Amino acid sequence: MGPTPRNGPVVSRRSFLQLSMGWIAGTFAAAATALGTMRFLEPNVVFEPAQKFKAGAPEDYPDGSITFLEEERVFLLRRGNTFRCLSAVCTHLGCTVNRTEGGFHCPCHGSVFSPDGVVESGPAPKPLTWFLVTLSKDSRLLVDKGQSVGIDKYLIL
Amino acid sequence: MGPGSLWSWFAATRVGRSIFRVGPPQSNLERSQAMVSSFLLHVQPAKVNRHALRASYSLGLGLISLYLFLILTGTGVLLMFYYVPSTTQAYDRMKDLQFVVSAGLFVRNMHRWAAHLMVASVMLHMCRVFYTGAYKPPREFNWLVGVGLFLTTLGLSFTGYLLPWDQLAFWAITVGTSIAGYAPVVGPGLKYLMLGGNIVGQEALTRFYALHVIVLPAIAGLMVAVHLFRVRKDGGLSRPGESADTVQSLALDQLPTNKTYGLMELARGTTPQVGQNPEDEVFSWPHLIFRELLLFLVVVAFVLFLAIFWNAPLEELANPIHPPNPAKAPWYFLGLQELVSYSAFWGGVVVPALIVTALVVLPYVDRRRVGVGRWFARERRVATMVFSVCVAAAIAFTVIGTYFRGPNWGWVVPWRTPPPAMEGR
Repeated sequence: MGPTPRNGPVVSRRSFLQLSMGWIAGTFAAAATALGTMRFLEPNVVFEPAQKFKAGAPEDYPDGSITFLEEERVFLLRRGNTFRCLSAVCTHLGCTVNRTEGGFHCPCHGSVFSPDGVVESGPAPKPLTWFLVTLSKDSRLLVDKGQSVGIDKYLIL
Repeated sequence: MGPGSLWSWFAATRVGRSIFRVGPPQSNLERSQAMVSSFLLHVQPAKVNRHALRASYSLGLGLISLYLFLILTGTGVLLMFYYVPSTTQAYDRMKDLQFVVSAGLFVRNMHRWAAHLMVASVMLHMCRVFYTGAYKPPREFNWLVGVGLFLTTLGLSFTGYLLPWDQLAFWAITVGTSIAGYAPVVGPGLKYLMLGGNIVGQEALTRFYALHVIVLPAIAGLMVAVHLFRVRKDGGLSRPGESADTVQSLALDQLPTNKTYGLMELARGTTPQVGQNPEDEVFSWPHLIFRELLLFLVVVAFVLFLAIFWNAPLEELANPIHPPNPAKAPWYFLGLQELVSYSAFWGGVVVPALIVTALVVLPYVDRRRVGVGRWFARERRVATMVFSVCVAAAIAFTVIGTYFRGPNWGWVVPWRTPPPAMEGR
């Protein structure tokens, strides 16, 4: 049985190997350049404010207060002896929400949140984030914006 | 001695001849030579079809976009001499341009208005090309380059308005990069890469500056070159009754191999010159050159007029704590902002991705060469209608976002409530 006849040029083993080596090397070089450039552009260290910050002494916040901490873009809520911290960053596209009578209102695209941060209307896909509040060794409120917690998690003093 | 004869005298001197080679053209031969022997003019053909010169056909929109790009490059380079891409200095430099630098505000005005005009002219150019069927074979690839130029233009304006570091800048970039973050899979990584971190700050400003002053202009410049080159290689501006021969490719394997070929013989198809009657053609010098210069003067005059009478807006210093209310993007992104106010993912990612995909595949789907070279050709009624509906929707969303949205992106009726501070957006 002879080889099946085929159309088109026959590629010799040598040129096949040469071609595939060339293509593999070229693809590898292009991929390495692309990935390396991407990796270069992705910073390893960022000079940004720390996620954890001290929010002062608990007694600075009167009972029932909702305090907007400007620098940190969070609300600090005290009810009785419980403390909670709510993000003021809209989950839609990152604008700062304003406090209103019935909750929070985002000026950019009109999302409305309940006092618990739950979305009532508008395009926001998620409720506002609650952050972990703990007490530091020197008896200051310690908020960690890197750690989100459930709505039912308080710091009780 | 008038300026014309002064130039004739200079062109006739030894130095003048060494520069221009051809003096003021007197014959048709010299008119061709004038075009071919000049570096700046040889980009264009020596002769051009009458139809291409018809202002009512092309509306000159491509050329207007090019001129605005040149104005933007010139004024942009000037602004770079004073601008510092630093979150603590950028805004002060804007104020310096306004109050300290001679003609600083004027140059910034020119840059801003030329940028707005360029976005508009590029969009209108795209509409013109669609309505005249000019993207059909053999011009599919040039339409793709045009889509790339359209997106680069938007990218240039987007990166540009972060640079003043005012309220609009800060919140537009906050919103814009957050939209990018909604993209599936690559979104969060892309956002981090764009901002050079997690927040809009110095790193983001540095990156947008580099993109705005070199990366995107270089890409745009290269694509403009390809775009113009392809206009010529694809047979000049589209026109009715073009010979379909131009799309046939040369059967290379049928050519005898024992012969050497000149470049012209290897040109695509039967070369764009075939099928063009001499009586349809005029010499580029002076017919094309004169119109181009005239249009250039009109564009420059219009930009100067705007820059003299209207100042480029500058809002308050960027305040990362409080967005302005309402926080509005420039007009050409307000349709998009209206869309994302319904859903960031659908309005900010899916719809734009669909639009770009539709624009990219269009010339490969709609290939039938009918109605090319005529506005709103009857044979293309359906395509014209579909495109017009899309354009109308875009305009509608933009109008809603511009005039019918007030504080908290709530509905306002523009003729009843005075619209909130909208100056100059």
